[in-house]
Amino acid sequence: MNDPLTQRMVFLTGLLVLAGVAGALLSPHFLQGSTVGYLLQYVPVLGVLGMAQTLVMLSGGPGIDLSVGATMSLVGLAIAAMFGAGVPLLLACAAGLVIGGLLGAVNAVLVCVLKVPSLMGTLATFFAYSGLALALTGGAPIGGIPDWFAGLAQGRFLGIPVHMWVVFVPLAVVLHVMLSRTRIGSHIYAAGNDERAAFLSGVKVWRLRFGLYCLSGVIAGLAAIMTLSWFQAARPDAGEGMELLSVTVAVLGGAHIFGGIGRISGTVLAVLIVTTLQVALQLANISQAWQLAAIGVLLICSVMADNAVGDRLRAAARRAAS
Amino acid sequence: MWTTLTSEASDARNRASVISRPIRIGREVLLLIALGVLVAIFASQSEFFLSERNLTTILRNSVDLAVVCAGMTIVIILGGIDVSVGGIVAVSAVLIGRAYQYDMPDMVVVPIGLAAGAALGAMNGAIIAKSRVPPIVATLGTMYIFIAVLFLVIGGVWISGLPNTLSFLVLGELFGLPSGLFVIGAIYGLSWLMLRRTPWGQRVVAIGCDEHAARLVGIRVDRTKIQAYALLGLFAGLAAVLYVARLRNVEVNIGTNIALEAIAATILGGANIRGGIGSLLGTLMGVLFIKMTQNGLVLIGVSSLWETVVIGGLLIVVLVLDALETRRTS
Repeated sequence: MNDPLTQRMVFLTGLLVLAGVAGALLSPHFLQGSTVGYLLQYVPVLGVLGMAQTLVMLSGGPGIDLSVGATMSLVGLAIAAMFGAGVPLLLACAAGLVIGGLLGAVNAVLVCVLKVPSLMGTLATFFAYSGLALALTGGAPIGGIPDWFAGLAQGRFLGIPVHMWVVFVPLAVVLHVMLSRTRIGSHIYAAGNDERAAFLSGVKVWRLRFGLYCLSGVIAGLAAIMTLSWFQAARPDAGEGMELLSVTVAVLGGAHIFGGIGRISGTVLAVLIVTTLQVALQLANISQAWQLAAIGVLLICSVMADNAVGDRLRAAARRAAS
Repeated sequence: MWTTLTSEASDARNRASVISRPIRIGREVLLLIALGVLVAIFASQSEFFLSERNLTTILRNSVDLAVVCAGMTIVIILGGIDVSVGGIVAVSAVLIGRAYQYDMPDMVVVPIGLAAGAALGAMNGAIIAKSRVPPIVATLGTMYIFIAVLFLVIGGVWISGLPNTLSFLVLGELFGLPSGLFVIGAIYGLSWLMLRRTPWGQRVVAIGCDEHAARLVGIRVDRTKIQAYALLGLFAGLAAVLYVARLRNVEVNIGTNIALEAIAATILGGANIRGGIGSLLGTLMGVLFIKMTQNGLVLIGVSSLWETVVIGGLLIVVLVLDALETRRTS
């Protein structure tokens, strides 16, 4: 229990229960079996973007990827356009993931090779990508995605949306295992905790971060595929607002903005909390404003609480040492 | 401890003197060239672009962003950032709108707008300084809160038909020149004096270069931070006053683009997110670049949707050039 990250998990689980109770009190429709499926419908897209953001933040630098939403919009359009031009849809999706990776690589070159601060570099690509998505389409969505493809995000298996089963959960598990059980994972934490120490002990810090920015682009591509299946159309503004929302989810989940601290499980819990709030207020027909206010307060208070806990732990360690 | 401290300090010194000087001068020249190319392209495609009327329009459209950017430059030089400025502009504007609806005179309405902005900015500063929440996280949180306040106060309906008693501030003329020019001149003159000619400005730069060292030499870091964010808030409040004066309405989605546009203009102008480095003149040119692009694209018949592509493209070019320059000099 003294481990701050464990405390974080307890805190987040408590918040999730609280959000659920609030939902049940606010709306008689909330405590129904169908709510779960409805709620989970919204989770995967924001969830995978939040995980991408968590990875980029974890490796330090400080790292942030403001272009995830714009990358997602652009990849979705590319897939839909390729399909429209006669490329088989699954091949187009695979190509979409590659394009996502390449868009991520542009960030990686800016941040890891040219050493532009990540906030500036990814802000620039955010403008460029979201602008391209709007300009190339004239703001109009590209439709014509066949019905069979809708099964991914609209279908249900055991009452739970298919994309939870085949994208969100597997990705969360893979990333969790990568971070907690593999050498790459410990290198990521090392790079985020103390860049110089990690470098001196042989971690190729910048190469690692380069890979994570590319991975962030690929994951944004996954998010694009899920949205494509959900709406059966590629919208140029599909990822609008996702850049800040994904940062919110990562930070709320306990990822430290300067790197080195954080877990995938925290991000998953944070997405569930944000979505539960959203759905509960929606069902109770309460202004979305309260949801925004709640997220804002949660975000600030959770980081303040972290700092306070950290101070206490440090003080305790100092007492123990003296 | 001392080795890291001194190396950090010398690092900061290098950033502040050796690297920044040549780049900053180069940056303003570079921006001037970019602006020149932009003007040449637009002027060759549309004879209306360089007309007095159109230039006045560009200026009028630039005033609110320019005012916000002066504050943003100071906050970024301080080593901070504020993504909630759009929310501050929105809350101030909606309060101004409501105050007008209660038939309050300008003498009351304007101070309400300015005070609201300064108070919200000070709140950002207090959270950042006192609870050590990183600025981007703290202002991300307050942005959500400010937008929530906007929604709750405005209730989803535009406030329109507001009085035009203040319109002269943006739309009027003074000595034959558009009055917006004087507003921008006054704000940037004031900001420059505060930043470069007062001890307060030196403290801001010192904190931006090396916060820890600044604290060690006795600078009251927390207080200076709160003041800088409050100043940005005050400017955002002023931008809200100017916005209402110009358009005489308050939309539901007011302020959505201001924060990112302001950060983009400031970075274009040569400021570094890491702090310590920045140029008010450069920022102003960044603002002009953004607003000229918005205006010119429409005039030459290109969809205004390309605007963000142009801004993003230029940002990338500028950042890459900067990086190569830094690499060469170091």
